Amino acid sequence: MVQERRILYEHLDVPNINTFDVYRQHEGYTRFEKAIAEYQPEEIAQMVWDAGLKGRGGAGFSTGEKWSFVPRDIEPRYLCCNADESEPGTFSNRYVLEKNPHLLIEGILICCYAMGIETTYVYIRGEFTLGKKMLDAAIKEAYEQGYLGENVRDTGLNINIYSHPGAGAYICGEETGLIESLEGKRGQPRNKPPFPAVQGVFMKPTVVQNVETLCNLPFIVGNGVEWYTQMGPTYADTRKDPPEPDRNTGTKLYCISGDVNEPGVYELDLGLTCTELIEVAGGLRGEEVKAVIPGGSSAPILTHYELDTRLDFTSLTLAKSMLGSGGIIVMNETRNIVDCLLNIMKFYAHESCGQCTPCRWGTPWVRDIVQRIADGEGRQTTITRPKFGVTESGRWGDTGETEEIYEDLDLLENVANNIANVDTMTWNTICVFGIAVSWPAVSYMRKFRPEFEAAIREGKLVTLPIAEATVPPEENYAYQQRFIPKEFSELQETTED
Amino acid sequence: MSDEIIQIETPFQFNEENKREFDELIGRYPVKEAAMLPTLHLAQRQAGYISPAVMKYVAELLELSVMKVKDVVTFYPMFFEEPVGKYVIRVCHTLPCALRDCKVVLEHLKAKLGTDIASETNLAKGTTDDGKFTLMKVECLASCDVAPVIMVNDDLYKNLTPEMVDELLEQLPN
Ligand SMILES: Cc1cc2nc3c(=O)[nH]c(=O)nc-3n(C[C@H](O)[C@H](O)[C@H](O)COP(=O)(O)O)c2cc1C
Ligand code: SF4
Ligand code: FES
Repeated sequence: MVQERRILYEHLDVPNINTFDVYRQHEGYTRFEKAIAEYQPEEIAQMVWDAGLKGRGGAGFSTGEKWSFVPRDIEPRYLCCNADESEPGTFSNRYVLEKNPHLLIEGILICCYAMGIETTYVYIRGEFTLGKKMLDAAIKEAYEQGYLGENVRDTGLNINIYSHPGAGAYICGEETGLIESLEGKRGQPRNKPPFPAVQGVFMKPTVVQNVETLCNLPFIVGNGVEWYTQMGPTYADTRKDPPEPDRNTGTKLYCISGDVNEPGVYELDLGLTCTELIEVAGGLRGEEVKAVIPGGSSAPILTHYELDTRLDFTSLTLAKSMLGSGGIIVMNETRNIVDCLLNIMKFYAHESCGQCTPCRWGTPWVRDIVQRIADGEGRQTTITRPKFGVTESGRWGDTGETEEIYEDLDLLENVANNIANVDTMTWNTICVFGIAVSWPAVSYMRKFRPEFEAAIREGKLVTLPIAEATVPPEENYAYQQRFIPKEFSELQETTED
Repeated sequence: MSDEIIQIETPFQFNEENKREFDELIGRYPVKEAAMLPTLHLAQRQAGYISPAVMKYVAELLELSVMKVKDVVTFYPMFFEEPVGKYVIRVCHTLPCALRDCKVVLEHLKAKLGTDIASETNLAKGTTDDGKFTLMKVECLASCDVAPVIMVNDDLYKNLTPEMVDELLEQLPN
């Protein structure tokens, strides 16, 4: 069985680790001290790039690369730590804030040193009252100990950290929504470009980084790039010639919830499969896995055919889904997918910020269609339009059959794809919230179409046996072309042969 | 918005402690407007909800128009424009909690408190007659591993069953 590898969470359960003294006894702040003593800021940024660290907040964008876009000649620059954590199914940042806030502060310090940043805002979602309290107390201690404030540890660095509460809006997790909210406005995302790295908060260059991403920094600096890159699979990106390594380095705080026996956060190397993760989380609660959401509610769903998919950035992208925030929600055979989609669509309809017409109107519309289907009032048209095909006489023509059209399912796909088209990956909206709506809507419907059809036909929710409810991959374009990425090392072996 | 439109009955002011906290807050940002959310949180904690008087006061503090403050208040679900109960009960009802029967908890609370669920535009609907509780549904509280969860004011309660809800309600002082 796959073993947990606790790095970020190693000391999480040590009593009083939230206090400076205990944190200090567990190597606390030594990595920051090492950074300022042994490396130039640019070297740290290079290390982060070399380590292949990818953002853990949702987009999975290379952190080192993001840092390289920040113009170093414009002052001041800001760091915004994204602790909004509102993606349904995600809860790993919460434990860091509540139990080990000094680790986050150390990560922030390293980032500030590398990027020459003096001011950091930690945007904490409004409901995290305990997390904010713990972080504020830790910040206060760090000031007292001289790790924050003016002339940090006699290095001439000035670094300030302030916590900033949100107020219950999911969209403030989106980086430009967060910035607007931080500036005291409605949290409505901005048009990009300019990206925050160039023009972010107060129109200055801004690095926006998730809590978990920042918590990786002390370990990259402390243990070195080589140690860090050993964890997680490296694939061969065969689209490039010659193939380039496509890395998924480090551990991930997988949040697993739903129908498993021991839901919780498990820190594991990137790249284990869904089946393995469910096993780590105490096994399935129920008989069989019906579906798995791999990256928070925005991610397209995986069916029981896809449980061998590895949970890392590359593999999930190839499976036409995403690792997202690492929130894994498991559903067993008793769950009705229409009902699950309804729940998720209610969430998005509630959370749309309302700036873009397709999102503002489209999202409630999708919700209403799913609601109608779930209520047994889904629209179905049986038309007697001649169905063309090969007739009995072996010729092309009217087959004499009638075609049954599930009007609402076509409508659902049409509306969703007009918010953001999941096939072409183009969207008609300011932010990618649009994709987060149409991805689940379309993928649930395509992969579990029989269940949607049954609900419309029977006039009520019908939970079908898994085999009947799921469309097999061969018949469906919602799936990937079943292609398991090769490990880079395997590829090298084969080319050497 | 001018004063004629907003009926301001009793003016609002920060108490001394909050004033001090506000003065500390405002120094954190290069522009005053950025202190909006923390200031509104402070004000709501003191006043119970964001009344027109509170908006006017916050607008003056931050040197903004009242309209701008109202604009922000209406955007965020955590700010209330009407009075709420002494205890605000937030029941999470997003998918992971739904998979763990949050409906049972919600229905139990509804029956027990004898109230409906508040909507963002009608908080009174979910407030008990004695003004002790306001019941509302919220989206994922980032605690799906211990679902179903509810929040009572600032505190989170995990792995709830109807029995635990009963116990909890009894413990809350009047
Ligand atoms: C609708 C939406 C919601 C998001 N919510 C969060 C969130 O709650 N927490 C988070 O860290 N990132 C969230 N993100 C991702 C951020 O936009 C951003 O990519 C991230 O904070 C960058 O940090 P990282 O590179 O360290 O992951 C969200 C994105 C979108 C589009
Ligand atoms: S896509 Fe939706 S959430 Fe994003 S900016 Fe537009 S309206 Fe707001
Ligand atoms: S769904 Fe209830 S806490 Fe996440």
